[in-house]
Amino acid sequence: MFSRSRNKKSSSTVNSDMLSKQRRYDSLVRALHADIFRYAYWLCGDKHVAEDITQETFLRAWRSLESLKDDKAAKAWLITILRRENARRFERKQFNYSDVEQEHLEDVFSSSSEDQAEQHLIRRQIAKLELEYREPLLLQIIGGFSGEEIAGILDLNRNTVMTRLFRARNQLKDVIEQPQARGQSNG
Amino acid sequence: MDELKFRRQAYGEPNCQDEDFLTAMHDSPERESFLNDLKKLDSKLERALKVDVPEDLSAKLLLNQQLHQHQAQRRKSGFTLALVASVAFIAGISFTLLRMGPVDLGEHALAHVYHEAMALKVDDNVGFDEVNFQLASMGTLGNAKFTKQPGKVYYSTDCDFQGVKSLHLVMQGEQGKVTLFIVPLEDRMVLDEAFADNNYIGKGFATDKAYMLLVGEDTADLGYVKEEIKQTFI
Repeated sequence: MFSRSRNKKSSSTVNSDMLSKQRRYDSLVRALHADIFRYAYWLCGDKHVAEDITQETFLRAWRSLESLKDDKAAKAWLITILRRENARRFERKQFNYSDVEQEHLEDVFSSSSEDQAEQHLIRRQIAKLELEYREPLLLQIIGGFSGEEIAGILDLNRNTVMTRLFRARNQLKDVIEQPQARGQSNG
Repeated sequence: MDELKFRRQAYGEPNCQDEDFLTAMHDSPERESFLNDLKKLDSKLERALKVDVPEDLSAKLLLNQQLHQHQAQRRKSGFTLALVASVAFIAGISFTLLRMGPVDLGEHALAHVYHEAMALKVDDNVGFDEVNFQLASMGTLGNAKFTKQPGKVYYSTDCDFQGVKSLHLVMQGEQGKVTLFIVPLEDRMVLDEAFADNNYIGKGFATDKAYMLLVGEDTADLGYVKEEIKQTFI
């Protein structure tokens, strides 16, 4: 009973802490959910799974929001959580999604015009890229990270990252710039 | 920057802004158009990578967090409730255990005399039948009773003094009044043969049914009442 007045005081600071944490989280979600969802999608190749992973990622982020000191690092931090969540998914399921699903990447973004047809083709090719080439490319193009930063996130050295980026673009350039040949061989 | 290095850099990071790289690009129009092709490829890739995000995703993310937050709070308040409950439980247990602790009957008797000072002033002239009735209604003394009037009894009541049930009698001694407590036999009781403080002296003895505690101002009174009880109480 004697601690009630003290409790009241500390609970009001707790509330304001909660409020600022909530505000921080809100802005984090609004600013980064699209990038995180897209990254998840390109990791797993399935819209619904991507949504699940995104949910898990943000929930985990909420729980340890205090550990994010620098807001500029938020994206890299979220991507690190996301990659861990994705890895966890493989531990649970005991089989490799990327082998199964990327070949049959679902055609959720249907193509009507020629432009969209091309985009569909590019998407298929990106999905076919080996994950180790796809990930640095995602980080560079969606994430906007430098080679150095990508190396940090993927825990590789910078030269390896640059080589993988080189190979990724090289492969994509080949197939995209000869859509005819590619289309035929694909049937 | 040689051609190979330039191409590696261009493929690796076409939007690189390093001075070396930019100078190398401006060296020849071939390099420039080569890089432009790559940049075009990049913008195509970017468009392709930007798949549609479910419209309500951010709302869902916030909702999910709120739900978890709510659950966490409920868990927390459940924990607090459990904590409070166990503190109350421990308090209850320890209070009971304290009451179960040993009781010094001499101390108890003296305290009781001071507590009910008015008992020494009243004169109810209680008959031994009435005392026997009170003894019986205590229920813890078996069929203990007085067989005849043990001298004059001024006052008689049953009372529970800090957890010790007893019958409280005030009797006539040789000269002054003597207070007698009849306390049921219990393991936790500690009986003193003799006890005293500044105002009163006391004697204690056990019969086979109860502890008897006598408190008075004069030893002769105590001896007198003790003898009377021994003859009349069975």
